[in-house]
Amino acid sequence: MSLDVFPWLIGLSTALFMIGATGVLVRRNPLVVFMSIELMLNAVNLAFVTFGRFLNSMDGQIFAFMVIVVAASEVVVGLALITTVFRTGRELDIDDLSEMRE
Amino acid sequence: MTALTIVVGILALVSAIGVVSLRSTIYCALSLVGNMIMLATLFLLLNAQFLAAVQVIIYAGAVMVLFVFIIALLSPGSEDRPALDMRLMVGIVAVVYVTLQIMFLVGNGKTYDTTAVACTSATQQDCSKTPLRGGRNGSAVNPGALSFYPDDVNRTGNVQVVGGQLFTTFLLPFEITSLLLIVAAIGAVYLTRHHYSGSRRT
Repeated sequence: MSLDVFPWLIGLSTALFMIGATGVLVRRNPLVVFMSIELMLNAVNLAFVTFGRFLNSMDGQIFAFMVIVVAASEVVVGLALITTVFRTGRELDIDDLSEMRE
Repeated sequence: MTALTIVVGILALVSAIGVVSLRSTIYCALSLVGNMIMLATLFLLLNAQFLAAVQVIIYAGAVMVLFVFIIALLSPGSEDRPALDMRLMVGIVAVVYVTLQIMFLVGNGKTYDTTAVACTSATQQDCSKTPLRGGRNGSAVNPGALSFYPDDVNRTGNVQVVGGQLFTTFLLPFEITSLLLIVAAIGAVYLTRHHYSGSRRT
C-alpha cells in the first residue's frame, strides 16, 4: 500500500466517525445509538492502524487492540443498562429517559 | 491506490450510512456487521493481520451476537422519526462543520509528519540505514520506537510482534485492561440481577 492512500484512509476514518456522531445525535433508539458509538470507535481504530502503518510503528495496533477491549466492556455494561431500564415494557426511546433531570 | 481499497472504502461508507439511516434495528445491526468486516479487510491491507482477526472474532462475532440478543429480547419496533426539526438541523450542521475542519487539517498536512512518512515509500531500504528524521526542525526521533517496517514485521510474524510489544512495553496497560474486563463483567451481573422484594425465593 503506497503513501498516497494515507490521506484517503484518514478521510475515510473521519467520515465514518462523523457518520457515527450523526447517529448519536439524531437517532432515538438507544440500541442504534450504541451501534453508532461502536462505529465511532471503529473509525478511531482505523485511524490508529493507518498512522501506525505509515509511521513504521507498532503502537497503533496495540492501541487499537486496547480500544477493542474497552469497546467490548462498554457494550456489556451499556446493554445491561438498556435491558434494566427497558425491561418493564417501556418504549425504546431515549427522549423518555429524563428521571435524572428532575 | 488499488481497486480493492476503493471498493472496501466505499462499502464501509455505505454500510456506515446504513447503520444510522435504516429504520429497522436488526437491519442496522446487519449493516454494522458489514462495516466491521470491511474495516477488518482494511486492517489486512494495512499489514495488521492480528487486529483483523480480532476485529472479526470480537466485534463481528461476540459484540454483534450480544446486540442481536438484546434486539430479540427487547423487540423494538421501527422508529418513527420526526421530520426535520431543530435538533436534527443543529446536529447535521455541527457534524458537517467538524468533518470539514478535520478534512482540511488532513489535506493541509498538519496532522502527520511528512518526513517520517516519506520513509515508507519506495526508499524503504535507504531509510532503514539512516536514522529517521522527525520533528519540525529535522531532529532525530527515537529510532527504536519507529523501526517496525512492514517487511521486518512480516518476517517475524505479526502476532509475535504484537504479543512481544504487548507483554513488554505495554504490560501495565494490558493488566489494567484485564481489570477493566472483570469490572465490566461484575457490573453487568449487578445491573441485570432480579430485584426481589423481601422474599428469598429464586
